[in-house]
Amino acid sequence: MILRMLMGLLCPLVGVAAAEEGETPLVRGGIGDKPFIKGIGGRTYFGGYTEVHFRYEREEGITEELTFEPKRFNIFTYTPVSDRLRVASELEFEEGGEEIKIELALIDFEIHPFLTFRGGIILSPLGRFNLSHDSPTNDFTDRPLVSTQIIPTALSEGGMGFYGSVHPTPQARVTYELYAVNGFDDRVVGGRPEGTRIAAGRGNFADNNNRPSWVGRLGLSPRPAVEVGLSLHTGPYNSWEADGLAIADKRNLSIFALDWEVRQGPFEWLGEYALAAIDVPEESAIFQSSQRGYYAQLNAHFGRGWIAQLPRSHFTGIVRYGLVDFDADIDGDSHRRLSLGFNFRPEEEAVFKVDYQRNWQRDAFDNLVRGAALLFSVATYF
Amino acid sequence: MKRPIFAAVLCAVAWIGGACGQLMTEPPPAGDDLESPFEGLSADLNAAFVAGDENFAKAFTIDEGLGPIFNNVGCEGCHPGDGRGTPAVGFFRFSEGQDLALDKGGAQHQDKAIPGAPPEVLPPEVDRSFRIPPPVFGVGLIEAIPVEAILAREDPDDADGDGISGRAHWVSSPDYVSAAHVGGGDGIQLGRFSRKAQVSSLLQQVVEAYHEDIGITSDFLPEENSHAQAGGVALGDQVPDPEISAATVLTTVMYVRLLAPPKRGPITPQVERGEALFHQIQCHTCHTPTMRTGASSVPALSYVDAHLYSDLLLHDMGEGLADNRPDGDATGREWRTAPLWGLRLVTDFLGGQAFYMHDGQSTTLHDAIVRHGGEAAASRDAYMALDQADQEALIAFLESL
Repeated sequence: MILRMLMGLLCPLVGVAAAEEGETPLVRGGIGDKPFIKGIGGRTYFGGYTEVHFRYEREEGITEELTFEPKRFNIFTYTPVSDRLRVASELEFEEGGEEIKIELALIDFEIHPFLTFRGGIILSPLGRFNLSHDSPTNDFTDRPLVSTQIIPTALSEGGMGFYGSVHPTPQARVTYELYAVNGFDDRVVGGRPEGTRIAAGRGNFADNNNRPSWVGRLGLSPRPAVEVGLSLHTGPYNSWEADGLAIADKRNLSIFALDWEVRQGPFEWLGEYALAAIDVPEESAIFQSSQRGYYAQLNAHFGRGWIAQLPRSHFTGIVRYGLVDFDADIDGDSHRRLSLGFNFRPEEEAVFKVDYQRNWQRDAFDNLVRGAALLFSVATYF
Repeated sequence: MKRPIFAAVLCAVAWIGGACGQLMTEPPPAGDDLESPFEGLSADLNAAFVAGDENFAKAFTIDEGLGPIFNNVGCEGCHPGDGRGTPAVGFFRFSEGQDLALDKGGAQHQDKAIPGAPPEVLPPEVDRSFRIPPPVFGVGLIEAIPVEAILAREDPDDADGDGISGRAHWVSSPDYVSAAHVGGGDGIQLGRFSRKAQVSSLLQQVVEAYHEDIGITSDFLPEENSHAQAGGVALGDQVPDPEISAATVLTTVMYVRLLAPPKRGPITPQVERGEALFHQIQCHTCHTPTMRTGASSVPALSYVDAHLYSDLLLHDMGEGLADNRPDGDATGREWRTAPLWGLRLVTDFLGGQAFYMHDGQSTTLHDAIVRHGGEAAASRDAYMALDQADQEALIAFLESL
């Protein structure tokens, strides 16, 4: 099935549209939904996306950023090795090559339409946004706070597991993904000066504590335009043993996420909630043990066909409100953001975005720092 | 037809331009914050200020040398907005009489530790003094006040019979503070910084804050804070010492030196009435409104009036405020007169709350005044005898500073 999905997504090359096939990707905009990938010969297909930002950010009246930012240049590959065996990858060049990493490198082996083995560097199914975070598919320039601070998108990990989907009714669909992964490491509490920061502990290509973590997502879709997802990432993150000796207490990190997406006519309502429970070293008294966040976003698409020369072009108005609370046990230590956006898509795969952000950050003393940003960005698949 | 469109476009541009400041946030009015430099600094000093600001804002990680025992991860962790801290980030100084109790982890209780090291436990039998972090701004002006100007206000034997007997606190300066620094060099030096004026130089204040509060070693104090309660072994911290350079410390010293005190708030008739009462009930005897600086390497600090509302001397503040812990030559009842500048902005940088006095146990200025005793008892009683309107006027004056 995944092959058929991906082949469907390769429609510009193979001339078979996914819609015509009646197939739906596992996650809209996710790894099975890279619609503009192209083949250049042989059996491997190439594609990618790139994005560039202009950022004007101020904080309490002081200009913090006024800069162009060549944000990302990512390259996708996809190889159908056989009817049941596929390989896909994504190579990311971020900030002009300052950060280069393999974000995705996976092998899929289809056992049954309900059961496909997946192994390699996988995109962790923790919340919908992590699975579908390409800039050309997202309507705002910046990712939601919760999807960068609590769920550190892009969260990709070495691991193995299974995924699949079932259709209880012709309209309804249930998808699942479940993997054992290397998980996070000690840097969750020691990697950033601000205290507990989950993002600091990602990116382990070898398990630091010889115990896998588990990550999974259940997607429930009663009809094609509605999906609710439940995800969990749980497991130990610190090294508590060495040479057979206990060197620390075993500490777990669990992140629960709820995501939703509803499409109705020209409107889309989507969002995500995440809650993290972190075992922290009590003696330090500087690490946060409970963090949470959410975002809710409304998109309104309009103007399709207004420009005769660009018949597939359209506009989108967007509003998003989000919060991340880095320490749920105290007032303060939080970040709220209201974002307003206006997009123009000359083609579905390319987008020009203008965003305005208003930020309210509170330190651990609950002191407020106000910020604002004007962003202009361009992103396109290629 | 074109003209109305043109006018509309112009209006839209003007509206956007006018609203732009608010849309993109605006700075607080000049003098309404605690983290601005003195006006009129040279470009070089502004650059030093900016560099030092980064040091002050820096929070250290374990990989950068934090700990092994510490009180906070960086300067701003204790001094939000460069102002005072709260009881939540306060800590105990402790000793046994004149003995700093180094063998028990004195003279400061580091209540936090990195993984691998146990935090210190406050020994039950020691003399202890709980203190909240004081404001940082204005210390450059305090540093620039000549010793003679401070000593001129001494009256250790109350020779004038006014009940006020302020005295200087003479201290020894650490070897790493050379005579090139105010308060440095051989012999005894005038203490002018910290709660009991037990510190004579800004360099010592900053070096020891890095070392004892954050657990960061420097070229000046290159060995980790001894963890006496863990057998003296600094477990956990694997970062080679010194963890920061002398240049980093000196940049931070320059930053705090250049931090200006905030400007006065609006002076209303009520504030003017309060100021008159402040003098009438003799508060100004210790809370000296203005002292003049002498020569300074920073032109903005040379020969200017410092409206600090302190004489920088030690005073007996009575049993109620006594911590019963000697600190150097200061007794358990003596405290350096706390400067009052910046009182009007206290709540702005403490999340809307206020904490006053050395221990932060007063949440209103009224309570802070009432807790005064010892040499200040007469002024306190005079304040208590004022009617409510006058008490409110006095507090309005304090909240204008």
